[in-house]
Amino acid sequence: MKTVDIANRARRSLRNAKARTILTSLAIGVGAFTIAVSLAAGEGARQYADKLIGANVNPQVLFIVEDSALFDGGFQQPALQEYNPDATTTGNGATITQLTQADVDELAERDDLEFVTPTYQPQVTYITFGGVDKKFSADVATYDPTIMMESSVGTLPELGEQLADDAIVLPDSFGDILIEQNVIETKDELIGMKVTMTASKPSASLSSEEIQQAFMSGGQAAVVALASGETREFGFEVVGLSKQSATALTGTTSMQIAASKARAISEFTTEGTSSYQKYLGVTALATEGNDPEVVKAELIEEGYGVQSARDLQAVIFTIVNTLQGIVLGFGVVALIASVFGIINTQYISVLERTREIGLMKALGMRGRSVSRLFQFEAAWIGFLGGLIGSGIAITAGTLLNPWITEVLDLGEGNSILIFQPIPIVLMIIGLIIIAMIAGWFPARKAAKLDPIEALRTE
Amino acid sequence: MIRVENLTKTYGKKNNTFRALSNVSFDIPDGASVAIVGKSGSGKSTLMHAMSGLDRPEEGKVIIDGTDILTLRNKTVDRFRSEKIGFIFQAFFIQANETTYDNVALPLEIGGINGRERKRRVEEALRTVELDDKLKQKAGNLSGGQKQRLAIARAIVNKPSIIFADEPTGNLDSTTGAVIEDLLFKLNKQEGSTLIVVTHDHDLAKRCDMQIYVKDGEVERIDTKKGRK
Ligand SMILES: Nc1ncnc2c1ncn2[C@@H]1O[C@H](COP(=O)(O)OP(=O)(O)O)[C@@H](O)[C@H]1O
Ligand SMILES: [Mg+2]
Repeated sequence: MKTVDIANRARRSLRNAKARTILTSLAIGVGAFTIAVSLAAGEGARQYADKLIGANVNPQVLFIVEDSALFDGGFQQPALQEYNPDATTTGNGATITQLTQADVDELAERDDLEFVTPTYQPQVTYITFGGVDKKFSADVATYDPTIMMESSVGTLPELGEQLADDAIVLPDSFGDILIEQNVIETKDELIGMKVTMTASKPSASLSSEEIQQAFMSGGQAAVVALASGETREFGFEVVGLSKQSATALTGTTSMQIAASKARAISEFTTEGTSSYQKYLGVTALATEGNDPEVVKAELIEEGYGVQSARDLQAVIFTIVNTLQGIVLGFGVVALIASVFGIINTQYISVLERTREIGLMKALGMRGRSVSRLFQFEAAWIGFLGGLIGSGIAITAGTLLNPWITEVLDLGEGNSILIFQPIPIVLMIIGLIIIAMIAGWFPARKAAKLDPIEALRTE
Repeated sequence: MIRVENLTKTYGKKNNTFRALSNVSFDIPDGASVAIVGKSGSGKSTLMHAMSGLDRPEEGKVIIDGTDILTLRNKTVDRFRSEKIGFIFQAFFIQANETTYDNVALPLEIGGINGRERKRRVEEALRTVELDDKLKQKAGNLSGGQKQRLAIARAIVNKPSIIFADEPTGNLDSTTGAVIEDLLFKLNKQEGSTLIVVTHDHDLAKRCDMQIYVKDGEVERIDTKKGRK
């Protein structure tokens, strides 16, 4: 018997049992819906993450450290280690060996790297704006010339250009705070305004002789002055306010200054301490034409720990994939439940249609064709279930997307549910196959039916 | 010609066996109309099943056109039924949810006859039983007599050389039954196919060229138009 004829008979017999067909398909539809949504959400999250990374991370960027333990938070470290003067302790208690100035210089000399910038940690005590007395405190960071940033007021350097030595970029939100604090009236006033940062060097530990000497020469006040250490002022001029975009990760909460100034401040504050000219890491770009992955491999060979833009992407994708896997798991559980639904309905169908099967076999239909008939019915159920589930998922997703984007504040034009035709088609094919596997047991029962028994009327 | 030789069919196992057919032998010439007559439970249907290749009794032969069909492989027997045999049952066994057209098309689909030829044959068969105006109708909505006519159309659509009819009028009132009988005998004459009717209706049996009387699984006697054998 021809496959087309079998498929048509299967389709007709399902159409004749509409209620049963739809109910069984709906069971599969639940699984299909969950899977379609998780596929769409995973794709949406990956595309969003990609956009986020693309907007914030130069694909050529490399983050280089002395000790790759930094990347895994130092979890593999033994609790007791030999003292290392180049080491520092991270937030979660891991001891990390830092890069020295010699390392940085060595990296800067390589011709496959450019924009070699250590992670300076410029810490200032307070900041004043435009000669107003009010003191503020804020995070100070090194301006990253490798990311295109947009300004709301003023102008920022071209992509790839560092800020001028005395230039400073403020986050746009600082403008609002300064208006609130009555330092300025409009944001435009900020451009060209002088910003002064006061950094202080912690006092070196004083010997009792030094204290005695200071007391002898200047009394109590001299000792206090000696103990409170030295302060220095660094002056800047505002060139622009950086705008926050929905997909920007950085440059939103820190004041940004040129690398040279960041270095000057951090060297001033750490001079004479063990942190002087020690860096947790270095950011650099692989020069044009150099594959960052190749440069990374070379650096790792030389003993550095290196992460590339792709690693960052991989980290985010791993999180997305894990979450997606969990949702997918629910879909699979729903599918397994629906498999029993198919087996059950098809068994009942075989019992109900004993006469019909007996007749077809009496008329010379091969057992194999009878089995195919029931498998096709199962396949149709799988196909319908897939269609129903993904149809509902796509409709609901398309309707809900703008709302989700708004609630999660993802920014205009970003959708978290992205339905792609190929995964959905593959899923439906998968469901058809699963349904056919589930339909195999009842189909075999039908194929083995004895026509004489089936057609017995007494 | 159909030759049945020493056919024996036993149901059950070991010490709980039952002989439904014992040592049955007879010959049926091509194109004849034959009645297998006997009381309920005498073994008529069992005999029909063996002769049509649905069943395989353990002893004996059923030789049709020179081949013992009991020795054929399953696949060959299925094809033999599909090509050479037509069935009509007391309970019609039509597919109530399918249209009359699709009911009649089933044997052709099984036999792999496609396209225009299939359509032509289905329409011809339905015309023969005067159901050509009910092509698209659900078979379940037909009356009893129409259902049996539909079953006849399905039985003749693949132009079989033997038609088996198991109590074809058993479920019909006498008027409708007579119409079906007339139709069967007309086809037997026109098409030249062998008609084997299983019945306990002696009037129907008398209309046949040959009567095989079965009792308790044995052939009691065989009558032909020319006389008792
Ligand atoms: N599968 C079976 N198992 C046991 N006995 C059976 C089976 N099929 C039929 N029989 C018995 O064989 C005998 C003949 O049955 P059958 O050929 O159907 O009679 P009928 O002449 O009424 O068509 C009956 O006594 C019936 O009970
Ligand atoms: Mg019977």
